[in-house]
This record gives sequence, C-alpha cells and structure tokens, in this order.
Amino acid sequence: MAETSTGTVDDEDSGLRRSITAKQLFFYTLGDVLGSGIYVLIGLVAAAVGGAFWIAFALGVTVAAITGAAYAELVTKYPQAAGAALYVKKAFGSTALTFLVTVSFLSASFAATGSLATGFASYFATLWEGPPALLVSLVFVLALVVVNFIGITESVVMNMVMTFVEISGLVIVMVIGVWYIAQGDADFGVLADISVSGNPALAVLAGIAYSFFAMTGFENTANVAEETIDPHRAFPRSLVGGMVVAGTVYVLVSMAAALTVPVDQLASSDAALLEVVRQGILPFSTDFMTTLFSIIALIAITNTTLVTIVTQPRILYGMAKEDVVPGVFAKIHATRRSPWVGLLFSAAVVAALLITGTIVLEAGGGIDLVNRLALVTVVLLLAIYALVIVACLKLRGQDENEHTFRANTPLLIVGLVGNLAILGFSIYDDPTSLIWCAALIAIGVVLFLVEYAAGSRNRPPGTRRGDPEAASRRDA
Amino acid sequence: MHVIVATDGSPQSLAAAHHLTSFADPAKITGISVVAVIRPLASVAFADEISEDEQHEVGEGTGSFRAAAQRAVDAVAAVFDGWGPPVGRQLRSGSPAAEIIKAATEHDAGLIVVAAGGRGLSDVILVGSTAQRVQHYAPCPVLVVRPAPRPRRAARPEA
Repeated sequence: MAETSTGTVDDEDSGLRRSITAKQLFFYTLGDVLGSGIYVLIGLVAAAVGGAFWIAFALGVTVAAITGAAYAELVTKYPQAAGAALYVKKAFGSTALTFLVTVSFLSASFAATGSLATGFASYFATLWEGPPALLVSLVFVLALVVVNFIGITESVVMNMVMTFVEISGLVIVMVIGVWYIAQGDADFGVLADISVSGNPALAVLAGIAYSFFAMTGFENTANVAEETIDPHRAFPRSLVGGMVVAGTVYVLVSMAAALTVPVDQLASSDAALLEVVRQGILPFSTDFMTTLFSIIALIAITNTTLVTIVTQPRILYGMAKEDVVPGVFAKIHATRRSPWVGLLFSAAVVAALLITGTIVLEAGGGIDLVNRLALVTVVLLLAIYALVIVACLKLRGQDENEHTFRANTPLLIVGLVGNLAILGFSIYDDPTSLIWCAALIAIGVVLFLVEYAAGSRNRPPGTRRGDPEAASRRDA
Repeated sequence: MHVIVATDGSPQSLAAAHHLTSFADPAKITGISVVAVIRPLASVAFADEISEDEQHEVGEGTGSFRAAAQRAVDAVAAVFDGWGPPVGRQLRSGSPAAEIIKAATEHDAGLIVVAAGGRGLSDVILVGSTAQRVQHYAPCPVLVVRPAPRPRRAARPEA
C-alpha cells in the first residue's frame, strides 16, 4: 500500500469548503441590523416626528436597502472582508482616502458600540437597579472583548439563536399591537400625526436620519463574504432580503408602538420599546412581561455589539496588513489566534468614550456625549455609504463576470440622492455635527501623518508605502 | 495510514509538521492532508504567520483570509516536499476542532497532527484549546506537538 511517489496531489475538494449558507447569512444580516436600532432609537425617532414616525422608518429603510444592494454588487465582485475601505481603494486608488474612510468607519463603529453599551445598561437597570450604569456598560464591553479574545464568537449557531430571540421580542410588540387593535381601542389617527412645529417634511427627514442609524450594521455582513457558499447568489438575496425583512419589522413595530403608547411617553423613555409591554395590554403580569422583554432586549443588543466588536479589530488587522495603519494591529495572539492589540485598542477607546460621557453628564455638561457621537457619526457613515454607491457605479465594467450581481442603476442613483439628502439634512438640522465630524477627521489626518512619518522610518529602503511585503518583513 | 496535519497559520503548527518528519517512517504513510480551518465569524478568520512569500499585489490581499490560509497550507505542505507520501491540501471553514475531525473521518485517517499553543490555566478553565477538543473527539490517535520550552516567544520557523 505504501506509495512512494513524490510530489503533491490536491484533495479533490480543496479550496471549496465554505461554511456559511445563504440562510445563515440572512439571519446574520437580520440579527446585525435588528438589534442595534429599534431597541435604543425608537424613542428618538418618535420625538422627532410624532405619531407618524413609521413613515420615517419606511423611508430610512428603503434608502438603506438600496445601499445594501450596492454593497451586494461590490461583494460579489470582491468577496473579501475589508468592506467600504477596499471598495474605495479599488475605485479611487488613494491611500489617504482609504485611510480616512477607515478612520471614519471606525469612529462610527466605536460610537455605535458606546451607544449600544449605554442602551444595554438602561435595559439592565430595569432588571436590577443595583450597579451604576457606567459599570454595567463597561463590564458589558469588556465581557464581549474577552469572548472575542477567546474566540467563541465563531459559533454560527449562537448567532442564529440570538437572532431568533431578537425577532421574538419584536413579534411580541407586534402581537401587542394586533391585540390592541382587536380590542377596538386603537386610534389610527395617531399614525398620520406629525406633531412637530415647523415643516413636516423636515420632521420626517429628521426621523429618517435617526431611523437610518437603526439600519446600520448591514455592512458588517461583507465580513463573511469569503466564507459564504455560492456568494454570487447568496449575497444579493440574503443581504437585501435581510434588510427588507428587518425594515418591514421596524415599520410594523413602530406602528404598534405609536398605537399603544402616547408618543410623548415614547419620546421621553430611555428604553422606549419597554413602554409598549408596560401598557399591560396582553393578559400577562406586567412584571413578567417587563422582565422577559428586558432579557430579550439585552440579548438583541449583545448580538449586535458582538458583531461591531468583531469588526473593529478585523478592520485594523486588514489595514495593518496593507501598511495603512501601524503594523502592531496585525499582531496575533500566539495561542488564541485573536488580534489582541486591535481588541485591546477597541476596548480602550470604547471604555474611554463611556467614562468621558458619564463624567461630562455628571459634571452638568448637558450633553449625552456617547449618543451625541453615535448620531454625529451617522453623518460620516452616510458619506461612506454615498461613496460606496459612487464606487459601485465607478467600478462598473471592471472585474465583472457572468456571476456578478448587478444592482439596478436608477435605484442606485435614487439611493445616492437619498443618502445625500439625509446627509445634507443632518448637517442643516445640526450644523455643530460638522464640527464634531471635522474634529474626528482631523484626528484621522493627524494619525495618518504620524503613521506616514513613523512608518517610513521602519520601512525597509527600496520599498514603498502600501507594499504589503514591507509590512510583513517589518512584523517578522 | 493517512495523516491529517492541521495548521492555524502559527509557527507552532509548522514546528509540528517538522516534528512528524523527524520520527515517522514515510514508507508507512499513504498520504498526508494539510488542513487549514478558516473561522468565518471570528475577528481574524485566519492569520498566516509562516509563509515567506507574500508576493500578492497591493490591495489584492485586503481581507482575503482564504488567500492567507492557502499560503499557510502551502508553507506547511512544503515541509513534506520530497519526503515521500503524496500531500493533499485542504481549506475548510467553520469550527477548527470539528472540521479537523471531519477531515480525519473523511480520509479514514490513522493519525492527526496538531500543535498545542495552549499553556496555563486559561485554556482549561475557559473553553479548552482546539488541540484538546480534537483529542477528545478524534476517530484516531492524535499527535499533539507542544511548543519547546523557551524563555519568551513561540518557536520561530527559522529558529
């Protein structure tokens, strides 16, 4: 039996063993999109628009889904994990722009993680008032970083279970809405009520901007592109499909919330969806429902936060490999195979954000820094999304084959206009957000210059910036 | 006897492959499969720290964990060049321990070679290492190559 021939034979199935099915990808998108927004943001949208805030959700979701289609097209062309930064690099070929997109995306991601952690803390407080909110949110972030470091985030099953729990929470809200309507108490007039002084179109635009934030996170789906079975078919269906389903759920949930709870009560609540179950409409004890719902909301927020904390070090790792950020972010822990420097950095930034936010709030600073940043960075995200749509259009005709998904061009242009309209409105509505964004980008530029100056010193002579070989030699 | 050699892109896994060649009789091995497992949902799905040539074009490598895994598999397979048995290469995706065991079952393997990076209590208390899980559920004997005791860092390929 002993075969003595030298040389190599390829296993018949080598290179094709991918593990993520279209169905899993769908739930991955759904879980990522659903958890982040509605649990934390529904109150803000209600405050901006009034009873008709479901319209804002419907429009925000549509613009986001079109952006998702642009991502789907680019993913089928470049099934790699870097997302927006990669597409911008492909389309515009500029290292500086790529770096700024990376910094903008990361700051948006950090702010979102901070906002989710405070959202977690406010739901946690409904279960147990004991520990201070700051402690809860810090422990929450640290726990997820540890989970990530150990590497048990790789469970697709866990992801699906958490997503099902998430959906069940929103289904409960919808059931409450239907029950309420069946009792004949519903006043449908509230659904058309735009109770804001001033221009109703502007009010709806404000709501769209907030609800758009509820849809963000879908771009993280591009992370698993490489490991998806038959990505050309799976991605368009699962990514856009997941977003459409999430959007439909959002609209139905916001209708249910508007019908069952007075809008001003929603607007003033930290954990707005809890107000719906607190109305005691279903024939269960309110305490039981509140507890159950808090647990569901906690799981939902955990699911989304986990994905953001997986994504941040992944981006840093990819960019370090490309010699765009310092090479230290490419360091992998010897035994756990986790990017521990990137993880620690993410944890440190988010923790600093949470602590600063609490200090500012307690010192009477009058602003909720964390959520302010989360909203401000939507401006950055919108700019990135618009850029991705432009990149998608610019890269038409390149790297295409018969399998490439092609998003509808007029729709893409509508999406681009929608993104820019929301972007323009966000700036018009809140000009100070430009100052915040300028500050964040300025930090990015400073980091870029530092890296450019420091990077050239330890780069071997004769190699140029962006040369991955140089980066790998430097690490070794 | 078919042998599965697993790599996670770490220098230890390369050392484990070298260790196999240091004592095993190539005439008794009918084939070797070098297997790398990509973890799609982990922060870094695969990190290649052993291949020497990274001659890919700028921008091409961004986020391509599959390319990194392929390079690591090639680097480990190169250890067996000219040793005798035919060498197959396989990229898989999913949970590392489960995929290594699946590969062993599919090939009706007689031996699995893995590197154990794990030292200290954290592995035992938290989730256990891939090597431990492979040992517990493997359909065949398992060779766990532990890192050589050394002062600071894990064994380097050139060391």
